[in-house]
Amino acid sequence: MSFFKPVQALVLGVLLLPLAMGNDYVLHMLTLWALYSLLALSLNIVVGFLGELSFGHAAFFGVGAYTSSLLVMQLHWPMWITPLAAAAMAALLGWLIGYVSLRIVGPQFAILTLGFGAIVLTITNYWVDVTRGPMGLSQIPAFSLPALGLDFSHAIHMYPLALLLLIVVLYGCHVLQHSRQGRAFIATRENRELAAAIGINVFRTKLIGFVVATALAGFTGALYAHYLRVITPDLMSLSYMSAMLIMVVIGGKGSLYGPVLGALLYTFLLEALRSSGAWRMVVFAALLIACVVFLPGGLVSLWRRRQGAIA
Amino acid sequence: MLFLQQLLNGLANGMGYVLIAVGLTLVFGVLRIVNFAHGEFYMLGAYATYYAMALAGLSYLPALLLSTVLVAGLGVLANYFFFAPLQKEHEFTILLSSLGLALLLAHSAEAIFGADPKYLDTPFSDAILDWGNITVTQQRLLIMGVATLLILLVYAFIRYTRMGQMMQATAQHPEGAALTGINTRFVHGYTFALACALAALSGALVGPTTMLFPTVGDWAVLKGFIVVVMGGLGSVTGALLGGLILGVAEALGGSYISMGFKDAIGYAIIIAVLLWRPQGLFNAGAQR
Repeated sequence: MSFFKPVQALVLGVLLLPLAMGNDYVLHMLTLWALYSLLALSLNIVVGFLGELSFGHAAFFGVGAYTSSLLVMQLHWPMWITPLAAAAMAALLGWLIGYVSLRIVGPQFAILTLGFGAIVLTITNYWVDVTRGPMGLSQIPAFSLPALGLDFSHAIHMYPLALLLLIVVLYGCHVLQHSRQGRAFIATRENRELAAAIGINVFRTKLIGFVVATALAGFTGALYAHYLRVITPDLMSLSYMSAMLIMVVIGGKGSLYGPVLGALLYTFLLEALRSSGAWRMVVFAALLIACVVFLPGGLVSLWRRRQGAIA
Repeated sequence: MLFLQQLLNGLANGMGYVLIAVGLTLVFGVLRIVNFAHGEFYMLGAYATYYAMALAGLSYLPALLLSTVLVAGLGVLANYFFFAPLQKEHEFTILLSSLGLALLLAHSAEAIFGADPKYLDTPFSDAILDWGNITVTQQRLLIMGVATLLILLVYAFIRYTRMGQMMQATAQHPEGAALTGINTRFVHGYTFALACALAALSGALVGPTTMLFPTVGDWAVLKGFIVVVMGGLGSVTGALLGGLILGVAEALGGSYISMGFKDAIGYAIIIAVLLWRPQGLFNAGAQR
């Protein structure tokens, strides 16, 4: 099963088109979409591959955003390293939280991660000396690589970078899905006892998946912070958490392109419904329920159903 | 004296938590649903009471009863449309469905009621009782009194009535219960409605002690989860002890350690409990 097929090339071509037109608004939306896609893909590793519902994922996104911003603003670290440091910080926290909570499964795991996420949020909110509390951080420097003469302060530069990273991560997920480790994830998700019986170290497998997912969330958080240049502890709140879950579930959990598609729908439908105020989240909640009840495979499964009907 | 005052505040808040948690624990015990939307029924109970007083001109207690009945009816519908069709599905699917329902109710409430805070004014909110240096509002006394009475009623209901015993049977073994002629679908609907009624009642009682926002359901369900995890999922007596412990721990922690981290105390408790005794503090043996 190859990763790059004509269809993908076509889609990529279409995605690059707005660059030529140079419409700032469209490019901004597309950049947000690419960043949300990365975030949704990271959650998909936990929800789709490991089959556990984590309610603490937004916390890692926020930790990444704060780590990178603070390293640049307070300690003046160079920017080529801070997103990586953010990923490392999120991964460390992910390892710690995963190590203690992955022994517990099902609804209890969801509640436990909810608790951890809420504690990280509380600390961010009240550690005012460092995080400026509910005020958040503003005037975060835009992402740039002065050594290479590159500056990503505008969407027209940030979008290609985010898109490139998205392709890299998608390829990474593709390799992971078809690797021994990826098959171990799926086996663990489908049947814990059986997976253990054929020699898979279930706990270790889950921990690896969880740490990878949190590292990616942290990395994405850093990019997000340097792109929007303003962050508040809201990044770690339940509203971001539900947005992420909506993207993953509506798009199709456990699939490669589902989260990307979900992020696309979320970004653009949210914008299209902006005038309807609070009702737009009602629309998303209804979509979420409809998908859970009628379309458990998400939107990508429609494509597969169609193909199945033709073949 | 400060200690006694905080202890009393903690017990009053704790009884409020108990009321929220009892419904949550019943739904988990009988339907096997971890219901993220439970807090939204609390929110709806509080708002229904507010509007029954503001628009229909009812006084507090009739408004409270009306909203309880309304929300119980809504619970029957919610179970019929969102949970009953998923009965045979994986717990993951049901969890997501309840999350979807929570988002649906919270955001609909925001769209309909508006995001600005409301204040549910009751005749008991401003009346204060004094004993020496200890003061308490009548509203808090009402919460404690009603909650105590309801817990006793729920306990007796489950233990001694036919319906309660049918609930127990369904909780222990759904297929076995169905085999003996129990209509488990009816029992599920009944339990869900009862849980929603309890949530609405707690909203109508506890709501007046704070400002009302459409997002108050998040707060309620989180407190409910903390209590239920502490007491053991599915246990009513566990919910009672868990709620009181949480209320007192928050009141004492809030006054002696830091107000800001008051909410974090609850999370720290669930993390400790889930890691140390995942079956809850008060469950001696392994559960079903």
